[in-house]
Formats: sequence, structure tokens, C-alpha cells
Amino acid sequence: MPVVELSLSRLQNLVGKKANKKQILDSLPFLGLDIESLDGNIVRVEYSPNRPDYSTDFGIALGLQGILGISKGILKLDVKKQGNYEIKADSSTSRIRPFVTGIVARNGLLDDESVKQLINMQEDLHFGLGRKRKKSSIGIHDLDRISFPLKYTTTSRDHRFVPLNSTKESSISEILQDSEVGRDYGSILGQSAKVPIITDANGQTVSFPPIINAALTTVTTKTKNLLVEVTGIDKQSAEDMLSVVVTILQGAGFQFSQLKVSGSKNSTPNFASRSIAFDADPVNKILGLNISGSMLLSCLKKCRLDAVMKGKKIQCTIPRYRFDIFGGMDIVEEVALGYGIDNLKPAWPASVHIGEKNMTSEKLDSISRLMTGFGFMETLNSTLTSEQILYEMANRDSSQIISVTSSKSQEHTILRDSILPGLLENLSKNIHETYPQKFFESGIVFSKGSPIKETSSLACVTASEETHFSEMKAVLQSLLRIGFNIKCETKTLPSHVLFSQGRVAEIIVNKKTVGYIGELDSKVLENFRIRTKVVGFEIKLSGLIFD
Amino acid sequence: MSHVLHDIEKQIIKVLQSDPNLTEEKISQETKLSMDQIRRGVEWLRQKKLGDVSESVNISLSLGKNGLDALKNGLPERRLVNLVKDGPKTFDEIRSSLQGFDFNAAIAHAKKNDWINIEKTGTGSKISLKDPDADVPNDLDLIISKLGEKTIAPTEFDNTPLAEPLKSLMERPDFIIAHEEKTKTVSLSETGKKIDLEKLDSGAIDVEADVPHVHAARIHPLKDTINEVRETFAHLGFTEIIGDLSQSSFWNFDALFTPQDHPARELQDTFYLKGLNAKQLATPTQIKNVSNAHKKGWRYYWDIQEAKKMVLRTHTTCVTIKYLADKKPDEARIFSLGRVFRNEKVSYKHLVEFNQVEGIVVGKHITLRDLMGIQKEFYRKIGLTKVKFWPTFFPYTEPSLQSMVYNERLGKWIELFGMGIFRPEVTKPLGITKPVLAWGGGIERIAMLKFGLDDVREFYNNNLSWLRTASKCQ
Repeated sequence: MPVVELSLSRLQNLVGKKANKKQILDSLPFLGLDIESLDGNIVRVEYSPNRPDYSTDFGIALGLQGILGISKGILKLDVKKQGNYEIKADSSTSRIRPFVTGIVARNGLLDDESVKQLINMQEDLHFGLGRKRKKSSIGIHDLDRISFPLKYTTTSRDHRFVPLNSTKESSISEILQDSEVGRDYGSILGQSAKVPIITDANGQTVSFPPIINAALTTVTTKTKNLLVEVTGIDKQSAEDMLSVVVTILQGAGFQFSQLKVSGSKNSTPNFASRSIAFDADPVNKILGLNISGSMLLSCLKKCRLDAVMKGKKIQCTIPRYRFDIFGGMDIVEEVALGYGIDNLKPAWPASVHIGEKNMTSEKLDSISRLMTGFGFMETLNSTLTSEQILYEMANRDSSQIISVTSSKSQEHTILRDSILPGLLENLSKNIHETYPQKFFESGIVFSKGSPIKETSSLACVTASEETHFSEMKAVLQSLLRIGFNIKCETKTLPSHVLFSQGRVAEIIVNKKTVGYIGELDSKVLENFRIRTKVVGFEIKLSGLIFD
Repeated sequence: MSHVLHDIEKQIIKVLQSDPNLTEEKISQETKLSMDQIRRGVEWLRQKKLGDVSESVNISLSLGKNGLDALKNGLPERRLVNLVKDGPKTFDEIRSSLQGFDFNAAIAHAKKNDWINIEKTGTGSKISLKDPDADVPNDLDLIISKLGEKTIAPTEFDNTPLAEPLKSLMERPDFIIAHEEKTKTVSLSETGKKIDLEKLDSGAIDVEADVPHVHAARIHPLKDTINEVRETFAHLGFTEIIGDLSQSSFWNFDALFTPQDHPARELQDTFYLKGLNAKQLATPTQIKNVSNAHKKGWRYYWDIQEAKKMVLRTHTTCVTIKYLADKKPDEARIFSLGRVFRNEKVSYKHLVEFNQVEGIVVGKHITLRDLMGIQKEFYRKIGLTKVKFWPTFFPYTEPSLQSMVYNERLGKWIELFGMGIFRPEVTKPLGITKPVLAWGGGIERIAMLKFGLDDVREFYNNNLSWLRTASKCQ
């Protein structure tokens, strides 16, 4: 989950002096913000990806004002239609990144910390909502360096301009090759000869979305007026993202003027709120509360929504940036948050349910109990294991290997088709401990099927100088007889890679082979650096003691 | 002071009182106790200052490889002398009879004894006999024949004319082997000698003596916690269902309203099974409705091929949602417990494979507060009493809460299970009409609290010394 770093004193200034720092700290978790660390004045909180408005302290302050009752309801958004701000999309963009939208934000003041917060917001929005800039991405510019109208069009890869954080001109190809952002996000543009670009009335490059802005429009602490543009492959998500930026800039004290958007399926963004009407009853029912209509209205307002009674129904108004609210259940959550999760008291439901464990779990349980009774220690290994343990060290055939893609860990790349190699690995890790050592494990093994088959197996090993085949066979026989009233036989097997020749047998139940038992082969033991004798068996439980 | 003696100790004292110095082996023979029992008994007596052990080293001699050869064929120098008795011979002629090391040793020793002459001639060096009495047996021959195939103590040669020659023979490689043997002679101290065995209370044993640790074979500590959790869910009226670890993306993600471009579905978070696609996904209606829900809610082209990709389940919810979609119960309490997978870097707090449990309550009248109550009761049953709830976010539940549990050892609140009500966007397309409340989370976290571990990897290290000694601390 994304993390944002906040200064408590700055947050207090934004929330208003009525709240003290302790109240603020105590309230953060009840907005769904997990405090990750607290170091003096600096608090780091984790926020949920469905609330990108919490990616800055401006957005969090709005939430805190609501829940603390300092300022409730929707913060009214006024987008003036003054000025002649306009951007026109060229049809050539439709094949690569068809949509552009934006807004003009005026008369704000940005200090160092505010700029830092906006950069954090931009990165988080790009990563989450923007799906690593692929779906949508933002550019924030110094408005006063730009002449309108703007053009959203395409250009060739040899087009040159001075990119952000640079003083010299580069071509698009050079930026894609030589800069970090170019290398990270260049693949979004594929092999297309033409790439998207925003130019102003004087033909100056403003932005090369979704990669980098031009140096020309760099935002500094002296910047008062901003142009925000969002480009993307989905119109609605571009406008979603823009609405979050607008809310945050509103919190930062900016005023807004409309950016007219036109051309090739594009249109001027609409920041209108929506409304949902619902009955109070079902909300109370699902929460297990009995709160009045007026209380419900208050709860919603504390979550910075607006709500009024319309006859018996409640009509809730949802601002544009709360696109995480899909329907009724989301409203239920808003009511719960406004009511205060700490005010929700756990209840005990009357129940006529009789619980029971699954038959398979029960039988695996009794195997564990019997095996420990026979003196075996239970071990647990990953079912996602390594080729080295399962095949290389065990000398086993790897032709039916089932692997996962792009594992971050070398020890976990393939699914096990047998448990015994894992037990040998356990013995190998414990060669400095006292002997005899006796291990067992039961669990899932995988084989190819349609497309994959999962069955349960049991394996066990005894390692000591004195152990021998018949000791293991005695355990096997007793386990099956005592636990499941099953009679098993062992039948000579000419050879098996894991076991010594002449000391290995198939385990037969009802004329069917269900496993193998024997003395482990000395080469295999050597591979696992085990210096004592080892006997063991592995038996398929699925089809034998459960389906 | 009267002594409390173990039966082993008494038997040792008894034989030593009649024969004051005995080796451990001898005591073992006399008492018919095992060597292991004797060693233990002697150690106990020593600690009680009733007995004493003195160690001595015995050396014995026997013939080595070259010695045995000399016994059979004579010493190399003697064989050389025999060869040149009938006239001088060249080096090459001698070398064909006396090979390798024997050749060099024979010449060196014969020369030292002044038995032979070596002349250099045009055709190479020749050896001729110098001392006509050279074939008379000497001390070395005597020693070799005396040792023969026996083992003899070196003391037998002390103060005899053979003492010096023995030294020189021992310097020659592999002629004589000296065996060292350590023996422990046990004797009684003055107090020990005075013990009257007849007068000791024969029934008493030393109940204060230290005893060795014994190791119990046991169920794995994590499995203990898993079983406890399973048992507790059953107590709370939940019935267990199980499902496969490998699942189609459809049930792991799509059916739970997770859009196909969601970051959680990327390769770096989820394990996809190389080249494997599900053959049968779900019923045509289920597929159509889920597809429509995605198109409507997330506005994108929903790709059935993407839904067919097989993954290792990232949660047990895929099992519960399929159960609900297939059975559509009006009232139910079910749970699913088992391994889940995340493509993470393994660290002290992350595993790629761990255990999760998830309980589901379906019912017309069930409330969020009820679910909080069930959860609180669950924690009480497994011994966690300080619990609180915070809001959180899960992609497929709304509202969503997380429970926090206070841990005394760490002195802080720990995030444990999550809970929430399944979104209508999840339930409606699958034809589930009643509210579905879900709760659950990772089990290793609970086990870590119980066993006081700070590194989750310990559960899968299978370190025998930990398995033998791990004990619950909460």
C-alpha cells in the first residue's frame, strides 16, 4: 500500500487550530490510515489505493476536518469559465493516447513542502490509478510560461526540446534512451513512429506525455498559477485522476478556471457531483445499528459528502473525486466511518450453525497423531520448492516439471511432485543434531492433469546407523492398520532412483501401487551430505484414505 | 551421612570393594551392566567423591607390513647378502630381485654393517661380499622372529641386549607398529571403600539427581496453531470447505471484481503457472455475468484468455466464492484454511507460501457488528483478549475493517485478521442475493505471537533443536 510522509504541525495548520496533535494522531487510523512510523513531528501513514486523495496532507486534512467535526460536507468546487484557456486534440493522437483533459489553477502559493507533497501525489497517482502511467498520467506546469491555445498532437521521434531537470535540448529518441523515465516508461509508446506531444500557441513544447514535461514550464516555489493536464487511453480515468488533483489543489488554496478541451472525441471535463438515494433501514440493518435519519446525514457529512432527507429516503451527493463510491454498500461504509468504527460495539449473533472440520483435514490430523506416536517429528516444507532439491540432488526425472513464472526467489520456482526430497533436505539441515532423527510430512503434491492435479501424500524418514528396512515397513503397516484398517504389502522393485537396489519395494494396497519404501540410495544421501543410513517411504493418501 | 545410591552405583561399589582397581570393561563383565551404564555410574560416583578414575596408556608392539615381509623372506640386507654370496653382481642384476624401497634399504643397511663392497666398473657399479660371516643371524632377525605374529609389550625388551636394536628397527618404516591403548582404572575413595552396602536403604534412589533431556516427537508448532484455529472456527459454528492451491485467474481474481489490469495481478505479485490454462472455468452464465460486471464497473475489454491463466491462489477467497456461487446458500457459516502464495522476496516478515484462513457468514439478518463479535470471540478462544477494530480497504469487500490485537511482549498493537462485506459487484453477478460477510487472515502471524518468534521463516526451517524445544509463550 502507498505511503505518505506528513509533518504533524503542518497538518495541524491545514486542519485548523481547533484540533490538537494528539486528536489528529488518534483520528488517522479511523480514516483508514495506518500509522507506519512516528518520529517527532514526522508521521508516515499508509493509505488505501481507493483513496488517492489521501496521497497528500491537503487531502488528509480535508478528511480529518470532517471526522473531527471541524468542517463537514462537500468542499464546494467553483470552476470559473474566465480566460481563454483551450487545448485541442489532433486526431493523430487517437491511435496512441487518445485523451487529454486538464484545468487551470490560479492564485496559489507553493512552499517547498507543498511541492514535495504534490510530487508524491503525482508518483502515487501514476503508479496506482494510472497503472504505471499507461492508463493515464499527469503533467503540472507553470501557467505563466505558456501561450494558449494548446495543441495535443503527435510528433516524430527526432523532435527536440529541453526536458525537465535539464538545460540542453534532446531529441525524443535520446530522452527515451538516455533518461531514467524514458527507459522506465518508453515501452508504453511501443514502436510507434509518432509520439504524443503538447505544444503551445508559440509552437513551444510543453510536455511529452506520458514521459516528461518540458523544462520551460518547471514549477517552483515562485509559481502562482498552474496548468494541470492529464493524458490517457481512457477518458473517464483521465478525468478521475484530474478530479483528485483538483481536490488536492483546492485544499492547497488554489482557484480554478476551465480548460476547454476539444477535438477527436475529447471534451471539456465536468466536475459535477452525482447523487444516490437510499433508505435508512437497510443501512442500519447491515451495520447492526439503529440510528436516526438526521444522525445518518451527519455521519455522511463527516465523510465530506452531502446528504439531505427526501421524504423517507436519504439523498447523498458525492463529489467528483469520490469515484471509489460505486453504490449502496460504499455508502454504508461512509456511514460507518462517520459514525466512528470505535463506536461500533461487537455483538454476538444467535446461531444455530453446527461447525465441522473437513473429512480430509480430520484424516490428515489422525495421521499426524499416529506418526508422532511412532516417534516421528512433523516438518513443514513449501510446496513451491526448488529444482535443486526436488530433482538435482534427488537424482529424479524432471520431465514433468511444473514451474511458475518470474519467481523472486530461487528456492521457490517449481511445484513439488514428491515430499521425500524435502525430508532429505530437512535431514541435511540437521546433521549436527543428535540421532536418530525421524521426520514426517503430509501435504499436497502436484502432477500434470487437465491442467493440473493435486493430491495428498505422506512421506517419512528415519536416519540412524542402526535403522533398517523392516523398521520402516513396520511403521507403514501399523499406521495403515491402526488408522484406517488398511492392509498393505510390499513388493520387490528392481530399481528406483531414490533408493538402493535390492532394498526398495512398491507399496501395494488392493493390488494397486500407492507408494514406495526402501533404504535411501547412498549417492542421493551424499548429495544431501547425510552420513547415516536413511530409510523412508512415500505414500499417496488421495484415493486411499480419502478421495 | 547416608548415601542414596543408584542400583548401578551399588553394583560398581560392590565389585570394587572386593577388587580395588578394575577397568571399566572388567566392571562391565563382572556386573553384566552395559558399558554405557558403567560410564554413567562411574561418573556419578566421581561427582559424589566416592570413586576415582585413573587413566593409563598401554603400549604394545607388533610387526608392520615390512616387518611381516622380513619374517617371511628375511631382512632386505640379508637377502642382498645371499644374492652376492656366490660372486659380485651389478646393480641392475640385484634390482631385478630386490625392488623399489627394498633395494635402497638393503644397500644402505648392508653397507652400514660393512658386509659389502661397491666397486665402480665400466659396465656400472658392482656389489661383492666383504664380510664372510654376514649371513649369521643378528639381533634384528631375533627381534623379528620373537615378535612373529604376536603382540608384545615393549617392557619385555627392557634391560636385554635387544633394547638398542629394537630402537633402530622401530625407526625403519612399517617394520614395527606401536599400539596405544587407553584404559580407565576405577577405584574407590576412602569414603567409598567404607560404604556398607548391606546397611543402605535398598529402596531409596537419588531423586535429586540430574536427568538427561528427552525429546518428544510432536506435531509441528505451526501446525499446532493451524489446528487450534481450525478447531476454533468449528466451535464457532463454521464448516470447513477445501479447494485446490492452483486456481484459474477467473476464481482468484475476476470473480472477485479485480480488474485484469490491477497491479495485484501482475507477475511480480502473483505466481502464474508456466504455460498452464484452465480447461473449464465456470458455467457460461457465471462467465457472462462476471464479464459484464467488469465491463460496467471498470470499463475495459474483459479478456477470457486472461481469466483462464492458472495461478497459485493468492488467498483462500477463491475457494469460498466458488462455493457460494455454486451453492447459493441463504444461511451459512463456512470456512476455508490452507496454503496461499505471493511472489515476494522472502524476509523475516514475508514468505512466498503461507497459511490463511477465511470464514464466511451468509444470512439475511447478519450485521457488521455480529461479525466483529464473532471475531472477538475467536480471539478470546485462542487467548488474545485485547482487540480493537480500524477501518481499512480490501478490493472486494465494503465496508472493510481490520482487527488489531495488543501484544504484551512487543508492547504494541499488531494487525491481524481483516473483515468485510462482499461488494454487490462480486455477489450479484454470481447470483448470490444474501449479504456475505467475510473475515480471516494469515495464520503464521498468530503463531509468531504464540511462539514468540520475530522471524516468520523459522516455521519452515525445520531446525530440529527448535522443533524439539519450542514452547508456547502466549
